[in-house]
This record gives sequence, C-alpha cells and structure tokens, in this order.
Amino acid sequence: MVGHKDLRFVLVTPEKTLIDQQVESLRFPLFDGQMGVLPGRAPLVGRMGYGELQFHEASGVRSFFVDGGFVQIKSGVVTVLTNRAIPVAELKRPQAEDQLRQANTRPAHTDLELAAKARDIQRAQQMVALAKRSS
Amino acid sequence: MAKARAIVKRLKAVKNIRKITRTMELIATARFKKAMDRATEAATYTRKISELVADLSKSAMTFTHPLLQAHPEEKHSILLILTSNRGLCGGYNSGVLRMAQRRMKEAQSPAAVELGHVLQVEVSGKRGLNFMRFQQRPVSESYTHFEDRPAFEEIEKLADRFIELYVKGKLDRLDVAYVQFHSIARQNAVVETLLPVGQLAIATRGSAQKSETEKQENIEYEFVPSAKEILEEIVPASFKARLFKCFLDAAVSEQIARMVAMKGATENAGSMIGDLTRNYNRARQSQITSELSEIIGGAAALE
Repeated sequence: MVGHKDLRFVLVTPEKTLIDQQVESLRFPLFDGQMGVLPGRAPLVGRMGYGELQFHEASGVRSFFVDGGFVQIKSGVVTVLTNRAIPVAELKRPQAEDQLRQANTRPAHTDLELAAKARDIQRAQQMVALAKRSS
Repeated sequence: MAKARAIVKRLKAVKNIRKITRTMELIATARFKKAMDRATEAATYTRKISELVADLSKSAMTFTHPLLQAHPEEKHSILLILTSNRGLCGGYNSGVLRMAQRRMKEAQSPAAVELGHVLQVEVSGKRGLNFMRFQQRPVSESYTHFEDRPAFEEIEKLADRFIELYVKGKLDRLDVAYVQFHSIARQNAVVETLLPVGQLAIATRGSAQKSETEKQENIEYEFVPSAKEILEEIVPASFKARLFKCFLDAAVSEQIARMVAMKGATENAGSMIGDLTRNYNRARQSQITSELSEIIGGAAALE
C-alpha cells in the first residue's frame, strides 16, 4: 500500500485547474489548523479553512491564498478543490483590508448571519495577514 | 436597363451581407473554442466533487442536508431562464423560451393555483427579457452581465442567494431553463430542477462512468472532520458547481447555435449571389439583344 515516493499536487477551482505538478511537500489550512503533507501520506478527505497554501517544488516555494473547499489525498495525489485560489503575490492589501472592514461592520442578527460574519472576518483576516507579508 | 441595374444593387447588398455573416461565423467559432476550453477546464471540478461524494457516501450512510430535503408544499418556486444577450443565433433563444413557457404554464394550471403556487421568473440575457416584456410577464430579477464568459464569483453570489432562500423556506423549488450541451452536434433546451438537490444525484453527467472505476478501488480514508460534516459542506459546493455548469453550457451552446446559424446564412447568401448573377447576365443579354434589334429595325426602316 505504501510506496508512493512522489507527491502530485492538483489545485482545482470551479473555473480551471490551476496547478497539476510534482511537489516535494505542501502545507495548507484545514478547518481547524494547518496540515502538512509529505510523500507517502495515507488517504485523507478533509474540509479546508481559509489561508495560505504553500508548496515546495524543485525550483522553490510558491504560495496561494485559498478560500475554503476540500482536500482529497489518494495514492500519492493531493487534490485541493477550492472556490478561489489567488497567488499570494497578487493579493492587494488595501482590498483585503477593505473586505475586513466590511465584514466587521456588517450587522448580523440570526445565528446563520453571525456564522457567516465570523467566517468572512476570518477569511479577510487571513487575506490581510498574507497581503501584509507579501508587500 | 432598369432591371439590370436593380439586380446589380441587390447583388451588392447580398455580397455585403455575406461578408458580415461570414465574419460573424468566424467570430462565433473563436468564441466557441474559448467557451469550450473553459467548460472542459471547469469539468474537472465537478468531476472531483462527485468523486468525493461517492467516496464519502460510502462511509456516511445516513445524513441529511436542508438542500437535499424537498419541502412538503411547493409554493414558491423560481424559474431561471438563461438566454443570450445578442440575437442572430438561430433557434437558440426560442428553444429555451419554449421550454420555459411550458414550465410557466404548468405553474399557472388550476391545480397549482389552488395550492397557492407562486412562480417567480428570473431572466438572464436581453433576448429573454425582450420576450418577457412582449408577453407582459413580470420578471423578478434580470441579469445582462453574463456574457460568453460567466465568472464563478458572480454565479456564486446568485447561488448563495438561492441557498439562503431555500434554507429559510422562502423557496421550494428552483428550475433552470437553458440549452444543455452534449456535443458539438447536439444541444437541447431543457428545464432542470436544481433545488431541492436530487437524492445525491450530485454526480453530474459524464462523470458516471468515471466514478464507476473509482468505486472498484476501495480506499480507507481518514476524514477530517467526520464524513458527515464534509458532506454537509459539499452539498452547497456541488449545487454551486451545477449552477455554474448551466451557465457554461449555455455559453457554449449559444456560440455553437450562432456558428451554425451564420454558416447557414453565409451559404444562403452564396446561392443567392449565384441566382442573382445569372439573372443579371440574362437581363443584360436580353437588353443587348433588344437594343441590337432596335438598331437593325431602325436601319431596315431607312432603306
């Protein structure tokens, strides 16, 4: 069963497949914290959170901001399904801060609205943090 | 003389039209290729989602989600009609509108009215909006910004609104009328019910055989968090993907319809040019003949 020495990483958004290549390792946010994957990882299906997805390839490290979604690890292939994936270098700090402000000031009354608000705040915070680092 | 000149004028007009339709055909072909590429790229996502669902449903047998449950009474429903912004695409729009009208008639039938059924119509595309205006049917929402490149972000907003309405019980059924794309040679207008999401019918078309092969290899997954919770998240995601797919299909089909229509128009113009040229030559010839006979007649009279 074990024996997949290499790791293939596939990043899929509803619009297109952004990345499909061999990587050395990768790291991404699950719903409750970061998770790292090395070759030979056991099969897994997980729900992702918001934040930075980082992977090491032969030529260096690349990172994306991912907006929730799912991850599936199976026979040496890591598939990440996410609604949006933005290269960290392309994140705009003012925009991200604007989103955070909007999320913070939005009124929420019902449980559903509160949950949505908390989620949006968390997402915007992650975006701001990443944008700050890259700028 | 007059007849030949009139024909020349028409001939010129037809030639111009042929140039235009030919160009439109080429543009539609280019756009179709782009739209098709987008659709194939997007198919990966839906395929993966249905693969995940298949994997998950093996371990979580019983699970419910508000989007999966049909409401006991069907009172409020929405019909979303996807038409094009531009015309000159053959039977594309009329096909969709015919299907949509059938659904609207169904909602207005005495049995449905008795139950207090209210059908709201939402239309995307100027062609559909014009049609509804002509029919004097109120349209609750209209969109004209979905061109041939619908973006997921925009459709997500739409989907979120539908999900919210459905979960709150303000919407009991959502239908989408659009042109489904099967292959380059076959597209047909359909009315598809997207909400409630059919019993795990999340597996979209074309992915059925794929998930069959997946089923054979039984892999023990680790689920983070539980399979049930992931499924609960995946249901809205798959609904969004399906709605997005409707828009993509519609965009691809529109370009194909326009391509075919313009190809037909160009061919017709070509054969018309042939006819007109022949008529013109004949008219010119008969004119020359009559002029000649006039001259000969005049000369004969002088002798």
